[in-house]
Amino acid sequence: MQDRPSGRPLRASFLIPLVAFLVLAGFATAALMATLRGERDVSQLPSTMIGKAVPDVVLPRLDAEAGDVGPAQFAGAPLLVNVFASWCAPCRAEAPALAILEEDIRILGIAYKDKPADTRAFLQQYGNPFVAIGVDRDGAGGMALGVYGVPETFLLDADGTILLRHAGPIDRRVLEDILLPRIQELQ
Amino acid sequence: MINELGHFTLVLAFVLSVLAGTLPLFALRRGWHGLAHLAVPATMLIAAFVFIAFAALISAFLASDFSLALVASHSHSAKPLIYKISGTWGNHEGSLLLWIVILALFGALLAMGGRGMAWALKIRTLAVQALISAGFLAFSLFTSNPFARLDPPPVDGRGLNPILQDPGLALHPPTLYLGYVGLSMAFAFAVAGLIEGRIDRDWARHMRPWVTAAWCALTIGIALGSWWAYYELGWGGWWFWDPVENASLMPWLAATALLHSTIVVEQRGTLKSWTVLLAILAFSLSLVGTFIVRSGLLTSVHSFASDPARGVFILGILMVAVGVPLLLFAVRGPQLVSRGDFNIISREGALILNNFLLTSATVVVLVGTFYPLGLEMVTGARITVGPPYFDATFNPIMGVLVAAMGIGPLLAWRRGTVPGTRRIITISGVITVVLGVAIAMATTAFASGISIAGIAGIGLLIWLGSAIIADITYRLKPAKAGVAARAARLPAPMIGMWTAHFGMVVFLAGAIGNGLFATEVVVRAMPGDVIDIAGRQMTLRTVEARQGPNYITETAVIELREDGRMLAVLTPEKRFYTAERQTTTEAAIRPRISGDDYAVLGDGTAETGYTLRLYRKPLVSWIWAGAGIMAIGGAVAGIARARRRPLSTRAARPADNAYDTGSTAENDDDAAQKAGV
Repeated sequence: MQDRPSGRPLRASFLIPLVAFLVLAGFATAALMATLRGERDVSQLPSTMIGKAVPDVVLPRLDAEAGDVGPAQFAGAPLLVNVFASWCAPCRAEAPALAILEEDIRILGIAYKDKPADTRAFLQQYGNPFVAIGVDRDGAGGMALGVYGVPETFLLDADGTILLRHAGPIDRRVLEDILLPRIQELQ
Repeated sequence: MINELGHFTLVLAFVLSVLAGTLPLFALRRGWHGLAHLAVPATMLIAAFVFIAFAALISAFLASDFSLALVASHSHSAKPLIYKISGTWGNHEGSLLLWIVILALFGALLAMGGRGMAWALKIRTLAVQALISAGFLAFSLFTSNPFARLDPPPVDGRGLNPILQDPGLALHPPTLYLGYVGLSMAFAFAVAGLIEGRIDRDWARHMRPWVTAAWCALTIGIALGSWWAYYELGWGGWWFWDPVENASLMPWLAATALLHSTIVVEQRGTLKSWTVLLAILAFSLSLVGTFIVRSGLLTSVHSFASDPARGVFILGILMVAVGVPLLLFAVRGPQLVSRGDFNIISREGALILNNFLLTSATVVVLVGTFYPLGLEMVTGARITVGPPYFDATFNPIMGVLVAAMGIGPLLAWRRGTVPGTRRIITISGVITVVLGVAIAMATTAFASGISIAGIAGIGLLIWLGSAIIADITYRLKPAKAGVAARAARLPAPMIGMWTAHFGMVVFLAGAIGNGLFATEVVVRAMPGDVIDIAGRQMTLRTVEARQGPNYITETAVIELREDGRMLAVLTPEKRFYTAERQTTTEAAIRPRISGDDYAVLGDGTAETGYTLRLYRKPLVSWIWAGAGIMAIGGAVAGIARARRRPLSTRAARPADNAYDTGSTAENDDDAAQKAGV
């Protein structure tokens, strides 16, 4: 029952918490420093998908009676594919950007791992910039597109080739410096 | 003048905290007991200074003194009184000061109380507590001074973020902070114990009330936050796996584990180093919680209080507050000798399983919260993983935990089962299977069928409920002495445990009932339209403009009927706050035990009709009731222990400690010195 402060040597297992913490703290420090320097910012992913044809994703439409929907149906003109979900906080942040983009390009929404009722509520609260919305209940569509999470946005040309991939919410900088110029180029 | 007084006492509190956090530790090492004992009055003095500062800030908010930058940017003269007060902590600087106030309060409570506690342990705990105060006071004074002035002062303030003008917000942060800061006491105990190189049953005995109190406050605080999100955000949900919610859930999970492992240390003198580590981690997670909310590292619906520049300071505090104790743990941990003579099938074994599962759950939440951050570091992508991840990882772990909760309390310390355990398990197992199958069949018949996870959830709910009832019945059973007499003799901690576990049953009933059987209708309705929802009819009568104290509204008047009988008039609103120029959505909720009717008004005009979101949410209020019952259970166990303290005080008086031979204060110091403090 008695503790003996007997000067036992260090034991590796007791170092694990410290080491784990230092690794995490290192990450957090790097993230914070990058934020402060203004470097940490959303950016395009170097993706193997760029320059390739968009995968043949076909999903049920949110307004159920209208059948299926997929990027292929919109061939012939540029298309923005936006993967979103009602449970995703950054998706709320990019709603104003999508409202601006809606005027320049058709946007196909993919509701990733979301309940249709929740998606509808989300659209009602934050606006609906989409020409159509595919219901990706089990995330198979997102998987085919290779998304890391939500939100993610793909820019396709008239042939359905992926020109650009953006992970994370579309903020003012991404909108004005990257997406809008590329879309104008296409038109 | 009052503002300057507040600022000045805050500076005094900081200086005093630095002294009280360092000198006593040094003095104890040198054996200067008189100097070391100054930690006690110093702690009380710090509390007094901090209280004066906080009172000064509240009075500035009450008087709408817009010469204070904080008041000008977060208050408005036309705001109702209660939100002028709660506005004090509805912002970064004020909430930080509230944090410090609670920290100081707890410190003072220990300084005044702590009877029967080894003197040196108490002094060291107070010193560690003072060091935490010093860190946060420095943070407040150097980066987030609540008393910063504006010159010239504006005519009126910018107002409080309307979404925060709510009774829930008046209560949510203070209770949550009580929990977070309560864990600082456990942390201080752990660090003090490590400095002494000695953790024993007495240590656990004195730490446990703080852990229990912190856990109760956290439980209530999180429930209040969830309730607030439910009625204020107008999403109809009660938990969003938002980073800020996760930030409060992680300390709760760790505190729950700590609560249980402390029992093992106290009763059996084993699991010492693990418990110390948990105490450090639980408070670290509280700090991380503060860090997440304040630093803007993660995108969140709570981003009203974020500022990356302050994150650096918090990160600094975090590095020291977590890094140093973990270093201490690495050096001293191996000295903490635990007795390990128990069977795997025993109360100890069950509590270790409890700790394993709760820790896993904490890690799962931690990963889900920080994975997006880590990914962003590597790829630059900013994303969320959201409910799909947590449903797949967190829920199964909690499922196993609930299953284990049915068995753990039936097991005896050290060895195997108590007589009757098998019978209780068999009985509740049979009840579970029979009722589970019946309910699954019934719901399949009525509804379109439910998922495997849903059936598993219902099964677990019945299992835990029947196991608790069977356990209680068994303990009351040999009824010769009379059930009442036996009931009166039941130990209060056991009643507390049952109550808390039963709270879990109630919570599960709410979560499952709402999760599986909620109905939602989204329509565009014209005045006069009748909408059917879950066997009830909602009639949109009209949508009209109304005037609130500091906002104007668009209010829908909806009549709720069942079989033609009028149940209620629901009035969901969209509020436009004139000072802040912001709109909020106010859901109209008719809460009943059987479930809530919930209506939200969306966009629309009289010509095109209005968007309405209508919900029927069965049993949803059981979620928060369950949390409340859990907290009551914790309180019952806690109060029972406090009452029993006089007895154990005698046993635990340093000179004749029943558990640890030779643990007088002086000997403690010697031992600590030998250990190289």
